[in-house]
Amino acid sequence: MLILAIDSATSVAGVALLNGEKLLKEEFSNYKKTHSETLMVMVDRVLKECECTIQQVDAFAVTIGPGSFTGLRIGLAAVKGLSLATGKPVAGVSTLDTLAHNLCGSDALICPLLDARRQEVYCGFYDVTGAIPYKLHENLACSPAEFAVKARDVAVKKGKDRIILLGDGYYPYAEFFQQELGNCLQIPPPHLMLPRAAALGSLGLKKAQQGEFEDILSLRPVYIRLSEAEYRLGRGEL
Amino acid sequence: MKDVLILGIETSCDETAAAIVKNGREILSNIINSQVNIHSQFGGVVPEVASRKHIENVGPVVDAAFREAGLEYRDIDAVAVTNRPGLIGALLVGLSFAKAFAYGLNRPLVAVNHLEGHIYANFLEHSGIEFPAICLVVSGGHTSLVYMSSIGEYELIGQTRDDAAGEAFDKVARFLGLGYPGGPAIQKAAEKGKPGRVVLPRVFLDRNDFEFSFSGLKTASMNEWNKLKRKGIANVNDLAAEFQAALVEVLVEKTIQAAKKYKVRSILMAGGVAANRELRNLMKNRSQELGLPVYYPSLQLCTDNAAMIAGNAHISYVKGDFAPLHINAYPGLLSL
Ligand SMILES: [Zn+2]
Repeated sequence: MLILAIDSATSVAGVALLNGEKLLKEEFSNYKKTHSETLMVMVDRVLKECECTIQQVDAFAVTIGPGSFTGLRIGLAAVKGLSLATGKPVAGVSTLDTLAHNLCGSDALICPLLDARRQEVYCGFYDVTGAIPYKLHENLACSPAEFAVKARDVAVKKGKDRIILLGDGYYPYAEFFQQELGNCLQIPPPHLMLPRAAALGSLGLKKAQQGEFEDILSLRPVYIRLSEAEYRLGRGEL
Repeated sequence: MKDVLILGIETSCDETAAAIVKNGREILSNIINSQVNIHSQFGGVVPEVASRKHIENVGPVVDAAFREAGLEYRDIDAVAVTNRPGLIGALLVGLSFAKAFAYGLNRPLVAVNHLEGHIYANFLEHSGIEFPAICLVVSGGHTSLVYMSSIGEYELIGQTRDDAAGEAFDKVARFLGLGYPGGPAIQKAAEKGKPGRVVLPRVFLDRNDFEFSFSGLKTASMNEWNKLKRKGIANVNDLAAEFQAALVEVLVEKTIQAAKKYKVRSILMAGGVAANRELRNLMKNRSQELGLPVYYPSLQLCTDNAAMIAGNAHISYVKGDFAPLHINAYPGLLSL
């Protein structure tokens, strides 16, 4: 089964092609945030170098959020277009699941973090000792301080003595997390720090094998947050 | 010659639209999903909200365009999409979808300038338009005068320095409590009022160029309204009528000046504000004096739609002028 994985949820753009469990090619770019220019070019290059056509792909995988609102829509619009045109299904995977899967096999508490701006992070709490990341707590958008409290709490309850943070939400608050989490805290090396299309493809494959696909016409990003205008409307400020 | 079927996709503002046009002339389907009810609660288009609706709507709207035309996806020869100007986040949804859809079908992609699309709406409905022509493009986003030497050959000769005409309609309507969108709301109120009872300025700027400015008219309308309310003699219908008359007069006179200077053989109008009855009537009267025909699209093709995008793309298709996979979207006009 050929899986084409497409990720543009954050400042990273990534494309990977997997033939079942075998990773054929992966492209990763964290250079410039011009996903609308680069993403389809990457798709084309990955397929051509693997001597594949888009029609040969059996299923697509895409990160459905959370992440940059515009980035998510570029990725989702792309897989919608590809899926409709080719008739092949789409497996949607959480950006936080994708990040957690980078550390598959670790017995630590795995907490992927994405910069949510407004002094907040999108965060998840995972056990990754199994084949796929297992969510220990629902995903949140909260302040770094609230996150740190929650992370310690989950670690104690689940008997985890180490907490691994990863994702672009770590960097702006690195010093704060080091203070708050102290000796429990571990940070992975750069190649495991950001979303990887290969990890997305791996999780997408598992969903595809279970026949867990999205309704392509109605598929929308998981933003977690309302837009600013909807938020203000809800508070009666508009 | 073989028929050319082009799918057009348009997401530059708050309408998600898809259409299929044959040979740049015949509209086989024209689907528009308007978000006007969603944005009216915010009093105007909210870019992030528009983008969120586009990603939900783009698939169903494209699919509906094929069903209405009775075609399969693979029947089309090219995919056309608006890539400028407009709300950047909104444009990116349509562009990203269109690129991938074209790639998945192995068909070429054509990038279309939204303004050229508006102008092209005239050629979907009228034949025998003679060149050179002058076209007034007026909508919520644009107020531009465009000179056309022939089909597909555009030269921007003037535009607004501040608000677009439609934007001025929206802002004044909102201020007067007439609702959103402002164009139809003000037109309706104006029918019950009379211009001239209140006096607002006609801002022509330099009589020798084709630039517009509407922020002064907007401010004058607001000041006049506050003054009348203080005096207790405010009549919203009279103010709406005078505002509309002042705006329309400037649009028409500038267009007529341009028509004379460039010695054109036709006058065209395009864009959502071209649906305004006062504008249509005055333009017809003034151009009759010059013996020039006036063309404008039907109401449905004045507002944002994808048939005009698919239609305009036919010009590029015939020339083999296709967009590369790395093409981006741009909020500004760049050039025509
Ligand atoms: Zn428009």
